[in-house]
Amino acid sequence: MKILHVYRSEPSETTKKLVEIVSEGRESDSFDLSVENPDYDALVDKIIAADQAITWF
Amino acid sequence: MPKKVMFLIDKSDDEKDSLDALRSTLGLSVANHYSHAVVMNHTLSKFDDYNAENLEWVRDMEGEVYTTEQANADTNDLKYASLEEVGKMLREMDVIVPYGT
Amino acid sequence: MAKFGIFVTNAKNMAHIMGVTKAAKAKGEYVKIFLTWKGTLLAKDPQFRELCNAADEVAICADSYKKMGYDPQNDIPEGLTEKEMSTQAKHGYIIDDDDNYMTL
Repeated sequence: MKILHVYRSEPSETTKKLVEIVSEGRESDSFDLSVENPDYDALVDKIIAADQAITWF
Repeated sequence: MPKKVMFLIDKSDDEKDSLDALRSTLGLSVANHYSHAVVMNHTLSKFDDYNAENLEWVRDMEGEVYTTEQANADTNDLKYASLEEVGKMLREMDVIVPYGT
Repeated sequence: MAKFGIFVTNAKNMAHIMGVTKAAKAKGEYVKIFLTWKGTLLAKDPQFRELCNAADEVAICADSYKKMGYDPQNDIPEGLTEKEMSTQAKHGYIIDDDDNYMTL
């Protein structure tokens, strides 16, 4: 199972802990949406490639 | 096919955000999904009848509302779960919905 | 055609919603968007009409829209019809149906 973690802001300690548990033993990738000009094309490619995308706070 | 869904409700400066997330949780229950929520890092005021009924409905539809804050378990009968337990539950979910903020 | 669902709960994410919608459409995805709670405030955003044109389906939670102070019967946002003033069941439909899903 491949999981994509998308971050809308700097992850909190709570988010970091949950990401760690959810990702354990699984293939995972991430995308930072909080940058000034996100590459939406790359984001959509990553979402399509993942089995599950989680858009964190 | 019904899916397992968990709404994540983190602290907000407006309690209505959290209560509406519970309404969305119930909405997915009614739409025949296994819909759950977890209230994290903040405490909610005592539920009014409307929100207490929403919680009951979620449970009637085989969902649950968890909290990482014991105060929410004491005040509103949410089910306590540690952050580690929440993480383990998330591994079983088809859809994870960090709500609002 | 793969389906791409976006669940919107936040009024600050119009740029992301537009960006993702246009990118997904360019890849041939069928894009469905449901706005609820404070996300319904985006129905008053100047870009909302453009978003409705870009996506395949857009609906909003009428109850949330009313809670935001608008009249879901007499103030239907430009770009939507009466039947797109919807309920949380629409979120259920997106989850049921879509290959790809994100929250914004």
